[in-house]
Amino acid sequence: MHHMKKILFLFACALLLVACSSNNEGSKGTDGSTNAGADKGASSNSSSSDELVIAVNENFISMDPHNTGDTNSNAVQAAMLEGLLGFDNDGKITKVLAEDYSVSEDALEYTFKLRQGVKFHDGEAFNAEAVKVNIERITNDEKLRLYSRGFNLIKSVEILNEYEIKVTLTEPYGPMITRFGVAKMISPKHIKENLEEIPKVPVGTGPYKFVEWVQGDHLTMERFDEYWDGNDRVAKVTFKPVPENGSRVAMLKTGEAHAIYPVPAQNMPELESNSDVKVTTVPSTIARYVSLNTFKEPLNNEKVRQALNYAVNKEAFIKVVNSGLGTQLDSIIPSKTVYYKQQTSFAYDVEKAKALLAEAGYPDGFEIEIWGNTNSDTMKGMQFIQQQLAPIGVKVDIKSMEEGTLSDEIYGAQTPEEAKLMMWYVSWSSYASDVTNATKPLFHSTSFPPNSANTAYYNNPMADKLMDEANSTSDQAKQAELYAQLQEEVYADAPWIFLGVDEIVYGVRSNVSGVEVGPGGAISVQNAKID
Amino acid sequence: MSTTVIDSKKAQQPAAQYSPLKEFWRNYKKKKVALIASVFIFLLIVIAFIGPYIAPYDPYEPNYDAILEGPSAAHFAGTDEYGRDIFSRLLVGTKISLTVSFSAVFLGLIAGTILGLISGYFGGRVDKVIMRCCDVFFSFPDLLLAIAIVAILGPGINNVIIAVMIFSVPSFARLVRGATLSAKENVYVEAAKSMGASHTRIIFKHIFPETISELIIFVTMRVGTAILAASGLSFLGLGASPETPEWGVMLSSGRDYLGTASHVVLMPGIAIFLTVLAFNLIGDGLRDVLDPKIKNS
Amino acid sequence: MLKFVVRRVIEIIPILIIVSMLTFLFIHLIPGDPARLVAGKDATMEEVENVRHELGLDKPIVVQYVDYMKKLVTGDLGTSLTTSLPVIDMFKSRFMPSIYLTFLSMIWATIIGLLIGVVSAVFKNKWPDYLGMVTAVSGISLPGFWLGLLLIQLFSVQLGWLPTGGIDSFKSYILPSLTLGAGIMSMIARFTRSSLLETMQADFIRTSRAKGLAERTVIFGHALRNSLISVVTIAGLQFGFLLGGSVVVETVFSFPGMGRLLIDSISFRDYPVIQSAILLFAVEFIIVNLIVDILYKVLNPKIQLNS
Repeated sequence: MHHMKKILFLFACALLLVACSSNNEGSKGTDGSTNAGADKGASSNSSSSDELVIAVNENFISMDPHNTGDTNSNAVQAAMLEGLLGFDNDGKITKVLAEDYSVSEDALEYTFKLRQGVKFHDGEAFNAEAVKVNIERITNDEKLRLYSRGFNLIKSVEILNEYEIKVTLTEPYGPMITRFGVAKMISPKHIKENLEEIPKVPVGTGPYKFVEWVQGDHLTMERFDEYWDGNDRVAKVTFKPVPENGSRVAMLKTGEAHAIYPVPAQNMPELESNSDVKVTTVPSTIARYVSLNTFKEPLNNEKVRQALNYAVNKEAFIKVVNSGLGTQLDSIIPSKTVYYKQQTSFAYDVEKAKALLAEAGYPDGFEIEIWGNTNSDTMKGMQFIQQQLAPIGVKVDIKSMEEGTLSDEIYGAQTPEEAKLMMWYVSWSSYASDVTNATKPLFHSTSFPPNSANTAYYNNPMADKLMDEANSTSDQAKQAELYAQLQEEVYADAPWIFLGVDEIVYGVRSNVSGVEVGPGGAISVQNAKID
Repeated sequence: MSTTVIDSKKAQQPAAQYSPLKEFWRNYKKKKVALIASVFIFLLIVIAFIGPYIAPYDPYEPNYDAILEGPSAAHFAGTDEYGRDIFSRLLVGTKISLTVSFSAVFLGLIAGTILGLISGYFGGRVDKVIMRCCDVFFSFPDLLLAIAIVAILGPGINNVIIAVMIFSVPSFARLVRGATLSAKENVYVEAAKSMGASHTRIIFKHIFPETISELIIFVTMRVGTAILAASGLSFLGLGASPETPEWGVMLSSGRDYLGTASHVVLMPGIAIFLTVLAFNLIGDGLRDVLDPKIKNS
Repeated sequence: MLKFVVRRVIEIIPILIIVSMLTFLFIHLIPGDPARLVAGKDATMEEVENVRHELGLDKPIVVQYVDYMKKLVTGDLGTSLTTSLPVIDMFKSRFMPSIYLTFLSMIWATIIGLLIGVVSAVFKNKWPDYLGMVTAVSGISLPGFWLGLLLIQLFSVQLGWLPTGGIDSFKSYILPSLTLGAGIMSMIARFTRSSLLETMQADFIRTSRAKGLAERTVIFGHALRNSLISVVTIAGLQFGFLLGGSVVVETVFSFPGMGRLLIDSISFRDYPVIQSAILLFAVEFIIVNLIVDILYKVLNPKIQLNS
């Protein structure tokens, strides 16, 4: 019996230990206030009306604005950090920390007039010197993501006066304006004294200042009362990564989250009928397509590629795969992207597809592999393509690969000859203002993997020339004309199966206002309020 | 108390007719729950063979005008996100799911048994090395192994089988090693050794049969685990090709519809649950009957 | 006893070295290029090579291993390739939640499992046995993510009693630990039942019965204590597994534990994080095994520890 007692005692101790430590955990995270998330209906009571919880689908990776590659990190940073320029909800360039700017005719000199009276969260003043420190941080460190995206072309940064600064490039670079929107400003003191801390602790000029980041669980920020553009917003914002779709939706329904992004399309009907929740859709800049390896048989035949496009019912694609959301991709770039020009799309026509295949010498079709990652949406899309191509005799073999393996298979090929990739079900998104990034990595002959993402191995000297010319001018009318030509040229060649443009879908509780998601997936909480 | 009854029954039967199989059946049929489970699995195996012929619809044929319909007279289990008949997919998928789990367990059994026999029989350094390897495998998270295997070999149902198999090798090895250790002590093993029988002969002729009853129990339960492991791989997107009507694939691709069309995820979930449950109940029943240490009193 | 513990602890070192080497080899064997994954889809060759150099991935694999081990000896687990944060920082916030979840799951699973096991053994082949065993077996027959999602639907969405995930309060741990513990509860219940039935056949139990001791005393005083030995083994093994984090449960409940960190770092091929996480799991696993061995001795002093 003695031993039994010992065991029981051990159990009791363990139980106590867990109970105590869990309690500590609870009170630490919520500053003593109880977290009322679980109480149905009562979730948005007085105690939480000044704290906004937003659930997103992926973990945020870094808080270093100069070294961020993922949308979610960007979205979280946006509330705390600001750039000279920014983007509105249509993806257009707006002036943020710059009151005004001008670009020289040769597209080499950028002059910014800075906003006055702006303060960083650590009390430092925002001025030309601060901008210089930030730009130099990027140009001096080639490890940073932004370095090779335009900043390596910066020849000099010149302070004209305390609130005016001039940046000179060595050669013209089309998307430079977009880059000034992406490059958010960090407090110069923070850069000088806490360089190591930058990936963890962002100190900027934004409407919210950083509080804590518990890796993998949440990131919390609080209102910055000395913000240059007023204080009329909720006092606290917490971002939580919740990758499982069902769990994220459940959080919105129970009120544990005030806003979620993205809302899985298949949950739309369920949420739309729920009066506690508002669901909003916004056309995105995310193009969804299947890239076709134009270098290899049988896809090197233009007729085959066109046949594949005719064989796919894009309306059914939107209905089945995107649960009815989104629009057809009727150019090589989404309609929200600048200089977009609609093309005559390949209307669904199985007979025409069969005829084209026969003309190309494949009357009985062929077998081919389609690659994609392991996301449930991708797998759904690949199955759809498989079903659509079956009637014209094209037998599609689905190979879904874990992201790292997939990337290795694609970028491991050093030359087009080595490539094993035939069809890739994928999406591409870029800033609405950045047409260069929406075209050059995908269609320029210098962008073949492993150099960039031209996985169609599309090689058209005419298209190359159009892109190069458009990049080296700052004349917008001329750019518009060149990009119009480019879209016509490439679309007709069908280097992709053009599928659709995604819709951004986000949901907020009905008592929440001012939370908005832009076409690139940036979440804005600047005007957020809870009633 | 009841021993006398059994003895007298035995006495009534001529000794020549005594068969272990009959003895087994006499005990096993008393296990009502296990018996019901056995009938269920038997039916399932029948379905695995005739499923494709009795399925009312083509399990791969999409119908975009009838997506996510609930159960009805036309579709007993409703339709999925492409309008495919879930009932037909379950019927056809029975074979795939059973094949995946049976082959994974069978392969794991062979490899594990050989390792376990060697380890237990030879002992010493060989034993130490094999058992340490098992320890290392145990301390390696299953998932990393699975990803590694699927990543190296590529996706597809065969590699799912291999991944699931590798999970089970160490447990089989341990189990067989334990049984071997105790069997080794038997007098007839000593006798065979002294008569100069080869190691292989001793292992397979004398020791292996001693481990069989424990193996049967373990295999039965492992089949259930294998079905769950395969569905776990599908959850992570590392399972069979997404159009396959394998139950785990159906379950994980249907999970996005839990809030809107719950039958898409409930139906394959129930199929998996009942099957795994049945295998485990049979395993428990077998244990009660076969395990010499828990003889019916 | 002390000698035994010391010897076992010393034995850990070679195992860890083997594990570290195997892991290192293994993760480099998995296809995937961290430099490319860090640099992004649209990165140029030159950028990728820059990143590769910065991360030290252009060095020979043996050199990378030696570098890693050198740092490890000084207690430095390295820096994450994706977040540029020290690996130890990334572990800090996730380690304890994983431990709590494991403990909580183990505790309820053990208590309920023992209870069901004892009841089933005592009422062998009667309805409480059937009920107990079907309940127990159900626990290991459910796909974890399915059970988790159903629990969320029921307790969070429909009833609104418990949060859907996170680690904000004690309540947040309930659903994940239910999901995680279900399988272990079943296993313990079944092992308790069968080993209890086994020991009840043993001579010393017959003797106690013959001595006319009350049935309750026989079961709880003698039989159960003996069967606890095998229950401890199985519980220990499961405990070891759980510490490795449960990716599936952590994903469903957005639980910031070690399992999700591991899966995230695997998908980015974040070598230092994977490497250190697996070493940590191995250490935990070994420690748990050691504790199990010590418990053996406590439960049954007849077992010789150094044999």
